[in-house]
Amino acid sequence: MKASFPNVGYDTYALKTFLEDLGAEVIPAPPNSRRTIELGSLHSPELICMPFKITLGNMLEALELGADTMFMAAGARKCRFGYYHYLQEQALKNLGKECRFIPVTQYSPLDFVFRIMPGVFGVPPWRVVRAVAKMLAKSQLTQEFRQHLNRKMAVDFDGAEQAKPKALAIIEQAHTLREIQAARGEVRRIFNLNGLQPQVRLGLVGEIYFMIEQFASQEIEKELGKMGAEVVFERSLYRHIRHLLSSDPAFVRSERLARRYLQESPGGEAIRTVGEAVHFQKQGLDGIVHIFPFTCMPENIALEALQKLSEDTGIPVLSLSFDEHTSRTGLLTRLEAFVDLVKRRKLGRSLHRN
Amino acid sequence: MVEAYIGIDVGSISTKGVVVDRKFNVLASRYLRTQGNPIDSIRRLLAELGAQVDTGIRILGAGTTGSARRLAGVMVQADIVKNEIITHAVAASHFHPEVRTVIEIGGQDSKIIILRDAIPVDFAMNTVCAAGTGSFLDHQATRLGRPIEEFGGLALRAKNRVNIAGRCTVFAESDMIHKAQLGISTEDIVAGLCDAIVRNYMNTVAKGKEIHPLVLFQGGVAANVGVKKAFELMLGHEVLVPEHFLVMGAVGAAIVASEETDGKGTRFAGFNVADTAFETRAFECEGCPNRCEVIETLRELKVIDRYGDRCGKWSKL
Repeated sequence: MKASFPNVGYDTYALKTFLEDLGAEVIPAPPNSRRTIELGSLHSPELICMPFKITLGNMLEALELGADTMFMAAGARKCRFGYYHYLQEQALKNLGKECRFIPVTQYSPLDFVFRIMPGVFGVPPWRVVRAVAKMLAKSQLTQEFRQHLNRKMAVDFDGAEQAKPKALAIIEQAHTLREIQAARGEVRRIFNLNGLQPQVRLGLVGEIYFMIEQFASQEIEKELGKMGAEVVFERSLYRHIRHLLSSDPAFVRSERLARRYLQESPGGEAIRTVGEAVHFQKQGLDGIVHIFPFTCMPENIALEALQKLSEDTGIPVLSLSFDEHTSRTGLLTRLEAFVDLVKRRKLGRSLHRN
Repeated sequence: MVEAYIGIDVGSISTKGVVVDRKFNVLASRYLRTQGNPIDSIRRLLAELGAQVDTGIRILGAGTTGSARRLAGVMVQADIVKNEIITHAVAASHFHPEVRTVIEIGGQDSKIIILRDAIPVDFAMNTVCAAGTGSFLDHQATRLGRPIEEFGGLALRAKNRVNIAGRCTVFAESDMIHKAQLGISTEDIVAGLCDAIVRNYMNTVAKGKEIHPLVLFQGGVAANVGVKKAFELMLGHEVLVPEHFLVMGAVGAAIVASEETDGKGTRFAGFNVADTAFETRAFECEGCPNRCEVIETLRELKVIDRYGDRCGKWSKL
């Protein structure tokens, strides 16, 4: 089996390790690029959201490299993402691409452990459990890596750029649980801040694919870091999997905190977006940046709730929606203005001096 | 010897420049058409500003803003290159410290800035719509054979403001033509157009923002008395167009430059940029599948600036 799956940012390493543990030969999709999105958009419905287009592009590029089995997250709740695999499988068929297409339901861990994975790989469930544990450890490592990287970028951008490939190499090579544990300390050391503190800290919230796959948001964390703002986030694949396993206290907290602005989940992860924003506001962060794909219904509802939060508490909120046409220049102007605004606000500096 | 700061705002339609003294009084100001050629308009601007201030002036700092801020910054060796939102806010609160809302509509961009105690606390900029308001007004004035300077005045003479579909300029134009074919007067149609522009601005740019007085209206479209009137009708209170409304971005850039250069000295290249050859070209990097478009600026055939690449391979000169 030559297995592949759509990229999920740095967690692509964690998923690769997982499939290898179960005995697959993994052919990762090439890193997301302009070609991926052009290819994906060409074969997608026009108004569907970017996660669909990019993941379809990933599949097409992975098939070019010889993949024969495609894994894709599935499981419909209120967000249409859960149905994407049907359309994507059909799109590949229509293009005459041959592959075994395996939808992996997100919302039934028991099904995943006892039926889907043993069925595909012919392994006993305990091996799936063991592989999941390792994947979780690795995914937690990439979450920590991103946190260190974001802080380092805000105080010493060039230093962070130099440290990044070293840290990624360590993460990629960590195979056993013990190695992963050792890598955590090493990654932390690599991103030593030398006692410097970031000028401002911004909380990043939004749709999960955009939170994980930096390409989709035009590397917003990097751009904000370059402007001297540390990007703090809660959402990650690690936390998402913990949530699917009903063992994420952060999710319970988000749901509780969101209630003031959003009584009921409108689907997707909107409730979490709002809850995390409230949490960041309570923690005293200097601003909130909200990212989501254009046409995303749940996040548009979250947007309204975030505006209310901003009105009530005074915390600045910048909401940004993206599609494959999003202009980079326009995006950078908005980010720069937002960071300037947050800095000036924090310094409390009066703008006129005489 | 007068000590002064220079601010330059290069937008899609117009290129603005000011020279201000240490108290930010405007000593000289110029407004030119960009005419799709910012390099040329920046050159002309510098030459004309230089002629206005003549001798006896010492520039302590230079700042650029607007959509061509980076290019302008490279050309004149500015001390700061600042986005237009901050520069407009800075200038507004300098002249009117009690300002709480800035409405800025230019050739291409529309924005709203919310200030509290002279500190900008929130802003929004047009995303999918309300873009190109200035250019559209320009186009409509030409189509109706009226000079742009008088166009807004037509709206003030309206007897029955007519409803114009304002979703986007394509709809607005065809609706204006339909209404004209029905025999409705140009005055009423132009007033309707001003209302549509304001409605669209309120629904797309200012959406969800609480607009408190004092409201300042800046940018090229503020010259249009019809749009100002339509804002006042919509908001129910007075809207103030500041004295230097056309060059507020440039004034803001000069003020920010003064904050930044405070005693540090300036890099400003002087007013004789007009005699220097500049060229900008673009190429597609083939280093990875992202195929970034890299923009290069050359002075006297030597590369002085590059940007546009995601990875930093080219922009690190």
